[in-house]
Amino acid sequence: MTSLIPLTRRRLLGVGAATIGLGAVGLRPAVAQNAEVALQLSWLHSVQFAGSYIAQQQGYWENEGLKVSLNTGGPNAPVEPPVVAGTALMGISAADYASAAVAQGAPFRIVAVAMKRNPFAIASLPANPVQRPADLVGKRIGMAVANTPVLRALCALNDVDIAGIEIVPTQYDAAPLVNGQVDCLLCWATDLPVAMAIQGIDSTTMLMADYGYAVHSQAYIVTEDSIANRRAEIVGLLRGEVQGWEDYNADTAAAAALTVAMFPDAGLDLATQEEQARRLRPLMFPYGDETRFGWFTDDSVAANIETLALLDRGANADLWDRSLLEEAYAG
Amino acid sequence: MSARTLLAILSALGALALWQALFMLNSDSLVIAGPVDVARWLTANAGLVGRAARTTVLAALWGFVWGNLAAILMAAFVVVLPRTERFMSFAALVIFCLPLVATGPILRVLFGAGAGPQITLAALAVYFTTYLTLVVGLRAVPQAWSDLARLYGRGPLTELFVIRARASVPYLLAGLQIAAPAAVLGAMVGEFTGAERGLGVLTLRAMRSLDVVATWGIASVAAAVSMLAYLAIGALSRLRGQGPPVLILSAGTQAARVPVWERAAMAVGVTIALLLVWQIAMDAFALSRFFAKRPGDVWAYLAEPAARRTLLTALWETLIWTVPGYVAGLMLGAGLAAVVTLLPGARALVLPLSVTLRSVPIITTAPLLVLALGRGATGTISIVAVMIFFPAFVACLHGLTQTPGQVRDVFASYGAGRLRLLVSAQIPAMLPAFFASARMAVPAALLAVTTTEWLATGRGIGTLMALTASTSDYNMLWSAVVVVALVAVTAYLLVEAAERWVLSRYAAEQVR
Repeated sequence: MTSLIPLTRRRLLGVGAATIGLGAVGLRPAVAQNAEVALQLSWLHSVQFAGSYIAQQQGYWENEGLKVSLNTGGPNAPVEPPVVAGTALMGISAADYASAAVAQGAPFRIVAVAMKRNPFAIASLPANPVQRPADLVGKRIGMAVANTPVLRALCALNDVDIAGIEIVPTQYDAAPLVNGQVDCLLCWATDLPVAMAIQGIDSTTMLMADYGYAVHSQAYIVTEDSIANRRAEIVGLLRGEVQGWEDYNADTAAAAALTVAMFPDAGLDLATQEEQARRLRPLMFPYGDETRFGWFTDDSVAANIETLALLDRGANADLWDRSLLEEAYAG
Repeated sequence: MSARTLLAILSALGALALWQALFMLNSDSLVIAGPVDVARWLTANAGLVGRAARTTVLAALWGFVWGNLAAILMAAFVVVLPRTERFMSFAALVIFCLPLVATGPILRVLFGAGAGPQITLAALAVYFTTYLTLVVGLRAVPQAWSDLARLYGRGPLTELFVIRARASVPYLLAGLQIAAPAAVLGAMVGEFTGAERGLGVLTLRAMRSLDVVATWGIASVAAAVSMLAYLAIGALSRLRGQGPPVLILSAGTQAARVPVWERAAMAVGVTIALLLVWQIAMDAFALSRFFAKRPGDVWAYLAEPAARRTLLTALWETLIWTVPGYVAGLMLGAGLAAVVTLLPGARALVLPLSVTLRSVPIITTAPLLVLALGRGATGTISIVAVMIFFPAFVACLHGLTQTPGQVRDVFASYGAGRLRLLVSAQIPAMLPAFFASARMAVPAALLAVTTTEWLATGRGIGTLMALTASTSDYNMLWSAVVVVALVAVTAYLLVEAAERWVLSRYAAEQVR
């Protein structure tokens, strides 16, 4: 007899659930339209991803039927694992990282490139400047040892003997340059030099892209499986990105202001973000036919393959797939 | 009491003065900010720092709770079923050895966005030290008491709850004191795996912006939180009162020798069990083979001579720094504990510094140490020592107070001085705690060296593992993890052998 009570209760629960279900049916369409996808960012929130924030805030993705979560990155948050695992549909990587991951068995394709010109630079102080690769000889360079191949490629491209450069392993921080432990730093043109500028320290920046270092950075990667099965979502995601970054290109100051406003807990400084946004723009929107956001030409792919070979990364043109971006632009 | 308060205030002022002096010596270097600037920055950014601190402290608190709970259960289990100790200790040791480069991506994929990885890493940062300290405490029971329980026909469970649990309280409190700053650090470092907010996030931001004042401001908050937790747990142990007088626990006995073949069989069994746990855990969560390598993958990878050579070269570079760093850290911890016991006034000077060094991520303090000591042997060994001395310091400090009352009385009646008491009575009484800390320092030293290699020297296994971030070479990463774990286990066994030899003379109740 005791079994009667749980039975009744279960039936009651069943009825209740059915009622709730009915109620939900009425609400459904509005919710169901928005497929949930995640974009894995490559670093902490900053203006570096402002186009995505604009897309989020302006509802560009909502128009595509997408509900996008922007997952933060960090020093111990590599982009490739969540994309392989499927926790993120798309990730922001780079041509060198992506080709290395492909060599390790990850089925990635690059579908769009935000930074067509690589942001790596050599920063130095005006009193002892590095203005061209030949100036590196006899200098102490502060960098992560992991980036040695980058320096080696730069040297190979410009006939500089790397043996003449002293590599000092440092944290990613401008302090060793400012306090004279090193003569120059290998860093992004858009972060440590900006930090020095904000602190009132002049610096000289030599952009490696000006000396033949062609590696697509902030490149959007997806898996081959996603291209086959979730193509529409990827195209929608890219379309929102394109719209967001076009707005960014039109007004970088507004993009910086939005970034600071959206992430009050991230400790962002408006002046720093504005300056970063200003310096990021020419890397993302260089002049010529490449000015459309995310677009990459076959020539730039060929140049990338050459530089990647110098980095001991065997990549071929199959790594890149522009068809999804073409669909996004076809609208 | 008022004299003590005065002394504490004077020492705190001394610590501040030391900070200010360090700042003035290095003011142009952009690696340290002074206390005045820091206070001003904290006032101006109180809201931001408050929100970040709340996030980090909450994660640290949950990690502290879960990690210590796990440690208590494990320790109780091991004491009731001594045969499981081998497996439990080595599993605990190996998991503690896992570097953030390997665990970060896995935790993020498992938990998604949110505080999951931060809490897990905080828990992982505390469970091992608490477990080791507590096992020692649960064994610190007079032989006569256990005999009494057995005479009454009671089993190991009664013995655990009635006798051992009470005897272990001072050790548990020591373990919790060690754990408090470690939990804060674990939560901060956990934020490096991709978090929206928190003290770790702010630290990264401040360092990249060359904002030294902010960097040190955040570090002070982390240190202050840890210090409060440390002092609160300390107050808890005083609340307990003096408790029963500490007794002489056991007369020395010759420990039974386990035959060699049995030890070998046990080692093989434990290894197979750990490999199974590894394989099954990764399969159970269906983790992608791309970044979550299985034992088979590592085996196949290490079959290539080139891979083996790279790994062994790096291992050698790592080991030549680890051993001196380990010894230096251990001696620094035990030495400071002795100094504080001899000169109680030094406590307020030593303690803030110790807790700070333990609770602030090494990326904040390393630039200062590297600037002062260079990237060579001195600098590297110092950084390692600084990263590992804290558990030894706290464990020894508590161990020194475990001197049996009868022994103290004898010394007092002969009018022996403090130094005499320290050398002849307190240090022998401290030995179980010292060896527990020597065992917990093994994986800590390896983690410290690999971190230092990544931050300052650019050599060794640490650099090899850091390379994974750009190369996705997870085979190399997991092979390095295996090698580091093997080294840790070997070193642990060596320390344990020394411990058995010493403790069979000084604290036979610890030797099974």
